[in-house]
Amino acid sequence: MASGDRIDYVFKVVLIGDSAVGKSQILSRFARDEFSLDSKATIGVEFQTRTVLIEHKSVKAQIWDTAGQERYRAVTSAYYRGALGAMLVYDITKRQTFEHIPRWLEELRSHADKNLVIMMIGNKTDLEDDRAVPMEDAKEFAQKEGLFFLETSALQAVNVEMAFLTVLTEIFNIIIKKNLAADSNANNSVPSLEGKKILIPGPAQIIPAKKGMCCT
Amino acid sequence: MPPSAAEPESPSTAEILRSPSPRDRSSSSRFPNLRGVRWRIDLGILPSSPSSSIEDLRRVTADSRRRYANLRRCLLVGPHFPKDGDKSPDLVMDNPLSQNPDSMWGRFFRNAELERTVDQDLSHHFSDKFDGVPFPEGNVVANSRFTVSTSSASANWVAMNEEDDHGFQGCETKVASLDELDPETKDIVLLGDAYGAEGELGIVLSERFMEHDAFCMFDALMNGSRGVVAMADYYSPSPAMGSVTGLPPVIEASSALYHVLSKVDPHLHSHLVELGVEPQYFALRWLRVLFGREFLLEDLLVIWDEIFASPNGFSIPFGENDRQISFTILTSPRGAFIVGIVVSMILHLRSLLLATENATLCLQRLLNFPENINVEKLIAKAKSLQALALDPSITFASSTVWSFEKSKPSYVRGHSMSSGAISPNTPLNSLPESYWEEKWRSLHEAEELKKGSHSDPLTSRVNGLLSRAESVPSPIKFLSDKKESRASVRRKLLEDLSQEINSKMDSTNKKDSGPSTKDGSSLSVEIDMRKDSVEDLTIESSVVEETGKAASEENSSVFSTATSPLSIANERENEFEKSSVTSKISIDDTNEEACSQTPEPKLCQAPEPHLEATTSTSTSTSTSTIIGGEKHVTGSKEQQRKPLSNRFPWFWKFGRNGDATAEKIGISEGQQRPDKVGNTMRNLGQSMLENIQVVESVFQQESLENLSNNILGSKGQATATAALKELRKISNLLSEM
Repeated sequence: MASGDRIDYVFKVVLIGDSAVGKSQILSRFARDEFSLDSKATIGVEFQTRTVLIEHKSVKAQIWDTAGQERYRAVTSAYYRGALGAMLVYDITKRQTFEHIPRWLEELRSHADKNLVIMMIGNKTDLEDDRAVPMEDAKEFAQKEGLFFLETSALQAVNVEMAFLTVLTEIFNIIIKKNLAADSNANNSVPSLEGKKILIPGPAQIIPAKKGMCCT
Repeated sequence: MPPSAAEPESPSTAEILRSPSPRDRSSSSRFPNLRGVRWRIDLGILPSSPSSSIEDLRRVTADSRRRYANLRRCLLVGPHFPKDGDKSPDLVMDNPLSQNPDSMWGRFFRNAELERTVDQDLSHHFSDKFDGVPFPEGNVVANSRFTVSTSSASANWVAMNEEDDHGFQGCETKVASLDELDPETKDIVLLGDAYGAEGELGIVLSERFMEHDAFCMFDALMNGSRGVVAMADYYSPSPAMGSVTGLPPVIEASSALYHVLSKVDPHLHSHLVELGVEPQYFALRWLRVLFGREFLLEDLLVIWDEIFASPNGFSIPFGENDRQISFTILTSPRGAFIVGIVVSMILHLRSLLLATENATLCLQRLLNFPENINVEKLIAKAKSLQALALDPSITFASSTVWSFEKSKPSYVRGHSMSSGAISPNTPLNSLPESYWEEKWRSLHEAEELKKGSHSDPLTSRVNGLLSRAESVPSPIKFLSDKKESRASVRRKLLEDLSQEINSKMDSTNKKDSGPSTKDGSSLSVEIDMRKDSVEDLTIESSVVEETGKAASEENSSVFSTATSPLSIANERENEFEKSSVTSKISIDDTNEEACSQTPEPKLCQAPEPHLEATTSTSTSTSTSTIIGGEKHVTGSKEQQRKPLSNRFPWFWKFGRNGDATAEKIGISEGQQRPDKVGNTMRNLGQSMLENIQVVESVFQQESLENLSNNILGSKGQATATAALKELRKISNLLSEM
């Protein structure tokens, strides 16, 4: 990158869920620490990035914020390509958005990579009085499906950071594990933390960002 | 108040109401300044025939409003509002607890649900801009986003009606007869008159029927009025009827625009494709809301003016119908114009996109289109692209142009839209292929040298911000560094310098070529000049064959460069092209210098080590301007340098132009090899510095000689001296940074 900042990993994460559950707000809270009361509906897909440090490695999260409306479904499947993580968002004040979660999950599993890290998010905890989805229901569902789960408030900046970091760290750990495995396989020796990174072919492949200047 | 007072008083209103070039439209359409009426005519709601009278307009207006009122009555059923008076409601089926979806109540609840969705979307969409503007309530069947079009029409309407009110107040008191008014004001009065056919319902400009009119326009836009482009298609997940591609229309349109992009800028196209930037990722939004998210409202209205003004009819001649049409959108002028806008938007971001190495960043840039763009320039370019897109050879799959481009992508690229406002097909069609072959071969060597000598494209990203005035990024950016403030200072300097030099050159030209005028046709002046110089070159026995050959080629390239911008027939465009060529050339000059650098090493004493490598851009520009001609001489035949440099002013110009072509290739080559670029940058910076000194010392030598034989005009000398001074200033400035 021209800025000279070293990026060790680039992870693509998609944000999905019904319309108006607060996907874009969660993202702008995470990427820019902003919340705007008059945000516009996402059309198609929009993008934000943020670089975080995980175990002294800089990880750039490229987050694809998709439109939730049904009418976008035909084109959204392509968005999942290459994604390593997914934030599956519902609105705790709208039961229906939670009931649609299995449909989204199905879509994710049919289009995205098998090793996709999925975090289910119940957003709008600031509207506790209007809660329509008990946390227990969601927890139970998450456990059954093997998802991470957190309740957030993009408005009050509760748990948003945590949600993304959880997903990114999990992806990071998976990658490291894979690299180590690949390393030991390749060298037939004791796995060494000093070993160089090796690209894992396949859909889960991470593109290691170029380091420093791009001259050879 | 005189009749002319009917003109809007508030500048902001005027801004919004008036299209950028009223003189363009007045010739082609009626009511050029009444957007609300014009849109209805363009969209096929009101009769477009110039012979239709105001009375006709009133009648059609009233009819369209009646249709809407009926529709509304039918669709927005209230539960206590029996649809048919004679049919008593069947209470078994039509009761609020009925599970039958066809019951009146079932319909009511469904509609209520739909309204809620629309409501949510609307509140989601209109947060700030349209505050206080009543929304049309009728379009429950419509997709949320397109209400923007109606609602901005509404916003427009409010503004327009305010204007009318002012106008009337003035007119009623002072003007005795309508005939005393100028035609435009008369139209406004007549269109707002309640008397006549249809009474109040026939008032063409009426605030009361804003909702009706907005709906009609919205409806016409969505269904396309039996034309090719129907916006509703872009929301459909299934392929359109008779689609050859079998893709959903929005996807097909997206591939159409990449198709056109691949014609005008294959390099950028392949870059995007390689990164995996699929067109629908950004085009979905651009198309579905017809650029509503990409521009400020006042710019958007102007763009919509142009889009609606393009006919939506099928434009392909019947004879061609047998052949396969790959892209429906390209078969009507309106669709082609929409594609033109898209492609010119992409080209506007060209250098930023080329500098971006991953898809997400590219898309981020595309979906955050800069707000402060020159809409007129964008539209002008879109129009030239529209013409290209409508070309049957583009619409249909194969064409000779395409195959030719394929064979020499790097060369064609140089002459494509990417390099400026040059009409894209002119150079391709107007010249025999053999010409390019020859040219390509002769330039090949220089190109080889240059391949590595271009700066890191990544660094151009920030500098793109600086070049907004130009619709196409100039290659200067490829050399600039990251700091905007620095670069802008530099840029400013550059502009000053190039202006100064240009004016001086112009005066030199004038002096040499006698009666040539300076107005707008400076390009032709340059052509004459170059003819002269070529003649001089060949007469001069000392010129070796190689140089002579290059010269003649250069000369013909001058013609192609000169004709293509002219074909756009836009003075401003012309100017722009000229200046961008100027800046491009200079970099190239330096590069060539850098490669074939320092023919006389003894002159390169005492390099200044404190000048940074990244400072090359601006300094190199001035360097090259000065040494352009000289370099050619030294580069090709060192021995001939002195006699030839007596022709300094001519060679100088000649060298510049010759390099214009070479430069374009050079740049594209450079972009293809961003990896080598970093090192070369550093070298370039070094050699640039050395070159300044070379020029200076050579120039001193020459001026001594010139004193004795007095061949070089004092003017050329003064120009060079001035330029050198500027150059020094810049390098000082840079070294201070």
